[in-house]
Amino acid sequence: MMIVAGTVPIKDMPLTMGTVALDGDFLTVDSKKIPRTQGTGAMVSAALATTSYLGLEAPYAMLVGDKGEGKGSRQLYQYLIDHVAELSPSVITLHYWLPDMGQTRQLCAAIEKCEKRPIMIADAASMYSAKGAGLAETFDIFTPDATEIAFLADPEATHPAYIFKHLFETDGSRAPELAETAYANHGAARLLLVKGAVDYVIKEGKVLATINEPNVPALEPIGGTGDTITGLISALTYAELEPHEAAIIAAKANRMAGRYAKVTPATRVRQIIAQFPSVFKDYLCQWSDVCCVKGAD
Amino acid sequence: MAFFKRQQKVKFEGGGLVLFQEVSQAMAAEKILKAAGYTVRLVAPPAELRKGCDLAVEINLVEQPGIERLLKEKDLAYVSIDPIKIKTAPLLDIVKVTDFGEWIMVKAGNMKITYEKSSGVIVNVSGGGCPDIPYLHAELIDRRLDEAQRPKDLGYTLCALNLDRAFDECLTLHARGDKT
Repeated sequence: MMIVAGTVPIKDMPLTMGTVALDGDFLTVDSKKIPRTQGTGAMVSAALATTSYLGLEAPYAMLVGDKGEGKGSRQLYQYLIDHVAELSPSVITLHYWLPDMGQTRQLCAAIEKCEKRPIMIADAASMYSAKGAGLAETFDIFTPDATEIAFLADPEATHPAYIFKHLFETDGSRAPELAETAYANHGAARLLLVKGAVDYVIKEGKVLATINEPNVPALEPIGGTGDTITGLISALTYAELEPHEAAIIAAKANRMAGRYAKVTPATRVRQIIAQFPSVFKDYLCQWSDVCCVKGAD
Repeated sequence: MAFFKRQQKVKFEGGGLVLFQEVSQAMAAEKILKAAGYTVRLVAPPAELRKGCDLAVEINLVEQPGIERLLKEKDLAYVSIDPIKIKTAPLLDIVKVTDFGEWIMVKAGNMKITYEKSSGVIVNVSGGGCPDIPYLHAELIDRRLDEAQRPKDLGYTLCALNLDRAFDECLTLHARGDKT
């Protein structure tokens, strides 16, 4: 089982869980419609596109409505704390929610009680709370952008709004150096996929790969294009690729989907997600050993 | 022999402090914030942060904008809101502008807004990770800058505050007539 967990911007939507399905322009989870927009909706959509193509079990989503007040986030944390051991997923991806360092600490302790330790992936504010609580090294994969790698490198910061200017570099060119600092300060997961004009795949401080083709600068302004990378890497890891292989393919697939969608800064992320099956069909075999899969035709 | 499992009490780790001049203000703030659903606690601030009384309210620092707005609505004065860790940097105020031809993208910290130069319509919001950002994305997209509500008035978190800085710069650029 792959668990994908996060908040959605639907007022008063209770904690909702179940296997994800696609229904036109929406995702459905336990008969509730979830928009495929920036945030957890985009992340889950990308994961579903990948598992569908590979003929794998669809992601099991745990979603809750929260517009920023935090109530839904706390419910979601608590449910996971109470139930993750019995669910024992093989991959767990934590995404948008109100970061809470105390509950993150409890959740990580609960995950340790799983029969087999899952691959742990965090992006968005789940990554902020993991780092803020000093638990970054517990995680297998973080997917920061150029600002967030500076945040991971700052030993005192608990949110990217509070980082030292000398660490803040918007063009991402200092990502390897900042990643090294993040590892030295115990602020990084085992594997980092640093998203930017150049994507860096970094394992325990060492750059394993850089991805800069195709170059699609208009991806940066589009809300959700970082979320899709997290969904892709989650599903590819669930397909038992090594985390660094999953990261490299996720970065390449996201760029190529942007090219296929002929994106402009006004493109919506669902237009990019729609391209993933074509990208996989054309390139997945070339990028990996996954050349003959159910659902590929 | 029966064993009883005691529920472990969750230690609150907020990361932020609201400082007040008077002890009574801190106590009133705690009551107001708890009633609004925030997790907070009364604490003694570290010596380096003592600006008024010796009682402060610990908050989840990420929730700073929502808490500031609520205290202002309730007319409860406070001295400042600061990170607990005294070595923490001040709020980041760097803004970067990227010209995409027909569109301008403004980045503030971890947040970005992109608008169409000719119309001033917001076409995308990206970055961040707090739960109000997908909500703000939905609220801001397809609205003109001069019609949209400010992110700091709609959001609750530091991501929303960064988004508001970007929004402010967009307003300035668009008002200046940067439509080329």
